[in-house]
Amino acid sequence: MSVYQVAGLTVSIGGRQVVAGIDFSLEAGECVALVGASGSGKSQSCLAPFGISAGIAGGSAKLLGSELVGASEATRRGLRGRHVGFIFQQPMTALTPHLTIGRQLAEAWTQAGAAKPSHRALVEALGRVELPRAEELLDQYPHRLSGGQRQRVMIAAAIAHRPKLLVADEPTTALDAPLRRDVLALLSRLRREEGLALLLVSHDLAAVAEHADRTIVLNEGHMVGPEHPYTLALRAASPRLSDPAPDLPSPGGSLLQVSGVRVEFPRPGWRRGRFLAVDGASLDLAEGEGLALVGGSGSGKSTLARAIARLGPMQAGNVTFRGEPLPSRNAIRPQQRRFIQPVFQDPVASLDPKWQVADIIAEPLRHLTPDRDVRIEALLDEVGLGPEYASRRPAELSGGQAQRVAIARALVCDPQILLLDEATSALDVLVAGRILDLLAELQHRRRLAILFISHDLAVARRLCHRIAVMEEGRIVEEGPAEAIISAPRHPSTQRLVAATH
Amino acid sequence: MRALLLRRLATALPTLAIVLILSFLLMRLAPGGPFDGERPLDPATRAALTSAYGLDQPLPTQIAIYVGRIARGDFGPSLVYRDFTVTDLVAQGLPVSLTLGALAMLLALALGLGIGLLAAGRAGSRTDHALMLAMTLLTALPTFVTGPLLVLVFALLLGVLPVSGLESPRYLVLPVVALALPVAGAIAKLARAGLAEVLTQDHIRTARARGLAPWRVLVVHALRPALVPVASYAGPAAAGLLTGAVVIETVFALPGLGRYFVQGALNRDYPLVLAVVTIYAALIILFNLFADLLYGWLDPRARG
Repeated sequence: MSVYQVAGLTVSIGGRQVVAGIDFSLEAGECVALVGASGSGKSQSCLAPFGISAGIAGGSAKLLGSELVGASEATRRGLRGRHVGFIFQQPMTALTPHLTIGRQLAEAWTQAGAAKPSHRALVEALGRVELPRAEELLDQYPHRLSGGQRQRVMIAAAIAHRPKLLVADEPTTALDAPLRRDVLALLSRLRREEGLALLLVSHDLAAVAEHADRTIVLNEGHMVGPEHPYTLALRAASPRLSDPAPDLPSPGGSLLQVSGVRVEFPRPGWRRGRFLAVDGASLDLAEGEGLALVGGSGSGKSTLARAIARLGPMQAGNVTFRGEPLPSRNAIRPQQRRFIQPVFQDPVASLDPKWQVADIIAEPLRHLTPDRDVRIEALLDEVGLGPEYASRRPAELSGGQAQRVAIARALVCDPQILLLDEATSALDVLVAGRILDLLAELQHRRRLAILFISHDLAVARRLCHRIAVMEEGRIVEEGPAEAIISAPRHPSTQRLVAATH
Repeated sequence: MRALLLRRLATALPTLAIVLILSFLLMRLAPGGPFDGERPLDPATRAALTSAYGLDQPLPTQIAIYVGRIARGDFGPSLVYRDFTVTDLVAQGLPVSLTLGALAMLLALALGLGIGLLAAGRAGSRTDHALMLAMTLLTALPTFVTGPLLVLVFALLLGVLPVSGLESPRYLVLPVVALALPVAGAIAKLARAGLAEVLTQDHIRTARARGLAPWRVLVVHALRPALVPVASYAGPAAAGLLTGAVVIETVFALPGLGRYFVQGALNRDYPLVLAVVTIYAALIILFNLFADLLYGWLDPRARG
């Protein structure tokens, strides 16, 4: 008997069908991956049968022979509590904030009816997911843990009651590259050791390929074959290190020089002392050149970039633009701000929800009324949006469209440097690919210099001549992109390269 | 935690002093004085009284005298109830008010949280809508309506509870209920709204995925963070209830502190008003501190 068998599964939300008939079966120790872009129905098809999403399932989904579709909530609750473990995408919010790790792990341990675990057993459970210092972690609240630690706690809790099936809904999407690889490896190991059936949902075809026994690609709720154009597009969408070197414009004269930047923050809570976020970082950037700041979460790359663009604090260091020192954050004049313009990670959150697109783009142009509408239309066209978008509001835009508006907003003051802070990380693979194409085009056409902050080397390489790797606030290695990728010297760089496909 | 306590204590005393000085000045700004009666006193007597109570001194001196005395725990003599010190009056009224207020607060919390949980557990159902409508009504009805209404039903028609006075604990039932109802309504609505927000959060899906019983998801995983708005409302509300509910004490003829609030102000009985203000302000400060400590327990992220 299969652990989990799905036949003709449909899911509808509010009367609209989002999944149209998918079939697969999953045996103990096997892994099936459901892959697709956002809106493809992959999360719904794995969560709806268990009754923990907004979708209503139809067709058939049998867990250890018991039908889930159409079963009462009490039946489904019993089945998922006894036999299934779930891991979700957002480790930062998926744990209950006011209960300690130990308390939540103990709850998971007993959810299938097991006796209360001993302290020893909980420590071992955290050890199994490769979490060091488990003793201390048990008494901590989730907000004290890093994203990677929380995702390991989630996994420990998901397998604590010895389930037969593990459902992992984009378990690595919110993590940085080295962590992604570690977490996927951990899931594979647990699957082998515990004989778990693993249902893995992801948007990254290449990343799951090596872990899954079978891969199902979903396009708008339909299963499509491996040679389908959508599958090929999905495969091509995420940049790979094995791709040929991109065609980049040749850099011109020196534009930006940064030396000895130090940024510190007071430690949170009642702890004494200050936290050194950026420690003596120096770099320079030429006209039309792309420079990537790459590193794991918390390495200080965003803090450094914000200090350079005068958007964040800076305690020491010098920034000169075309040989002139750039005044500090409080003293800088608007005219000097226009040279460096930022685009942030979360496109919808970085636009004012109450404003129309035209006003968002034209805000720096308030005093330039005569050709305002012409400029807005030209900019919308430049980022690939029609003039009808001018009157929309951010809530009416998709993630990709919102990011295009954010890019148009950055371009309106004719900047010479674009600061892209994880500008494609929150987007769906296919959309992110198209935004990268747009940025490459702008880089050529406008001879824009780009400061590209990313945790993904392969994405960074698409736009950047040089790569600077950051760790714990310091730039530990810097050089031409191809050299860094083919012969990384620093251990931190080596880890990043190894974790990138 | 200890740092928070110390910081709060350090600001509490200056806050109290400022509240006292301001209320003293406001009272003196209002026309009339403690010795204005139906029959005017002859000027010699008035002058003697004024000087005996120190009211002929310059204002800053008077403030210094009053605040200094209160700092030593002495509220001084009442200017109107001539045979009593203010401390006597407060000692009579405060225990009644504290009992009434504490019982009402406990009842309001139990009722409000219970109804809030019930409504949130059946969000969107007819029960939910009916309960929330009833809670809106409860908060909207003034106690001088619900008080007599309760008396009419339970004392006069059914005859199961006494009408007014305070001869045994049974006499407290109706005033406590009347006092608790509007507060319970507000708490239920705040708890319901807080729960509705928390129930959409990611960690609730994790708890549901674990196959936990719905009540367990609600009580263990959702309730605590949902109570943050309740805590910020309940602090000042409790201080208000404990220092005497003027209307309820009048309707039910209870010898509490509330009537001194009104009578003291009307009679320009300066020491009495200042005493009541001091107690009220101290309780507000105390309950706000309590609410702050509660936030840290409700949501550990607030501890910083």
